[in-house]
Amino acid sequence: MSAPFYKLGAFGDEANLIVAFFIGIGFGFFLERAGFGSAKKLVSQFYLNDLAVFKVMFTAIVTAMLGVTYLSWVGFLDLSLVYLVPTYWIPQVVGGLVLGVGFVVGGYCPGTSVAATATGRLDGLVFVLGFAAGTLGFALAFPLVAGLYTAGDLGTKTLPQVLGIPYGALVFGVVLMAVGGFVGATWLEKKMAPKAAPATATE
Amino acid sequence: MRVLPSLTLNQRLGVLALALGALAVFANVAPGHTIKLNARELLISVDRKEDHVTPAELAAWIIEGRNDYRLVDIRDEKAFADYHIPTAENIPLATVLDGALARTDKIVLYGDGAVHAAQAWMVLKGRGYTRVYTLLEGLDAWKDEVLFPVLPQSPTPEQEAAFERSVQVAKFFGGQPRAATAPGGPPMVMPTQAAAPVVAPPTLPAGAVPGPRKKREGC
Repeated sequence: MSAPFYKLGAFGDEANLIVAFFIGIGFGFFLERAGFGSAKKLVSQFYLNDLAVFKVMFTAIVTAMLGVTYLSWVGFLDLSLVYLVPTYWIPQVVGGLVLGVGFVVGGYCPGTSVAATATGRLDGLVFVLGFAAGTLGFALAFPLVAGLYTAGDLGTKTLPQVLGIPYGALVFGVVLMAVGGFVGATWLEKKMAPKAAPATATE
Repeated sequence: MRVLPSLTLNQRLGVLALALGALAVFANVAPGHTIKLNARELLISVDRKEDHVTPAELAAWIIEGRNDYRLVDIRDEKAFADYHIPTAENIPLATVLDGALARTDKIVLYGDGAVHAAQAWMVLKGRGYTRVYTLLEGLDAWKDEVLFPVLPQSPTPEQEAAFERSVQVAKFFGGQPRAATAPGGPPMVMPTQAAAPVVAPPTLPAGAVPGPRKKREGC
């Protein structure tokens, strides 16, 4: 077991930041190349005539999941050391709704807004400024929402634990969902495309 | 049924993902570095004092030349080179799971104080090492009780007799008794370590309280 590198001491703090920098560049590059620097492309998702966001994100999830599974299987990665965000289901439901509404209305999610700004889009920049202001506002108002912030604490949960099924079975299930989703998405795109012409969908 | 060459790249990748996903059903991703502890068993063994040996017990074992246990110094190499309890081997804390110790060994762990040895004790317990003990209060207690014993003020005859024995033990291990009254007292000069591993001394008469007969060099 030699990974995660940082937790097992192969990287120091500085090396960790440098690695993060290059991963960030790669992430931004591929977001932009997938067309996700454009709000039109992103919100097409919600009009069901271009499901590229769904396909790209689910592909990334499946690729990472299979990679992590196999690296762990061959004994390279200690999965128990991979950081998991604890589940606070109430604030996460609220936050998910806020993000979803903001995504449809604003046309970006946080990462893609930064990618859009980097390509010179003004709407992306406005979105980033709003995003920074909202973060600051949340920090200042934190005493008012502190109760919500930690409500519904379920601890660190994984789907195999919650569903009581083996890890590998869950991996296969997610792959089936993804591939089924891709087939369904392609079918849906064909079905929706004539009805909603891209020009009238968003402007 | 379509054959693979007629598929688009995306479809091929989808098929690959399905194949890898199906194979992943058999994946063993059990974590390699986690431990499982039975909290109740652990607390009971501590409560019954079954988790440690006292310095006096350990001293007696060494003098008797017992070899049914392994004495493990979990401090770093430098500290070990400066001083270690005779017969100890050096396995620094971070490496206790690296294969030098077997689950069937009887193991006595010590560090400078009590904490590090207790942490290593818990990790080894969690990994299924059943016969692990710590030296109670570590090297600090070893120095205070074995190497540099103190005669209590106005001792009872029993205390005096016990002190006489501990003086012999202290001399055996290269230490010396201290006077109870002197706050500073003579400095506790640690015995120098022989380069060669210390050979266990001759066995004691059966049932005898540790009373070394002969002082060996270097210990």
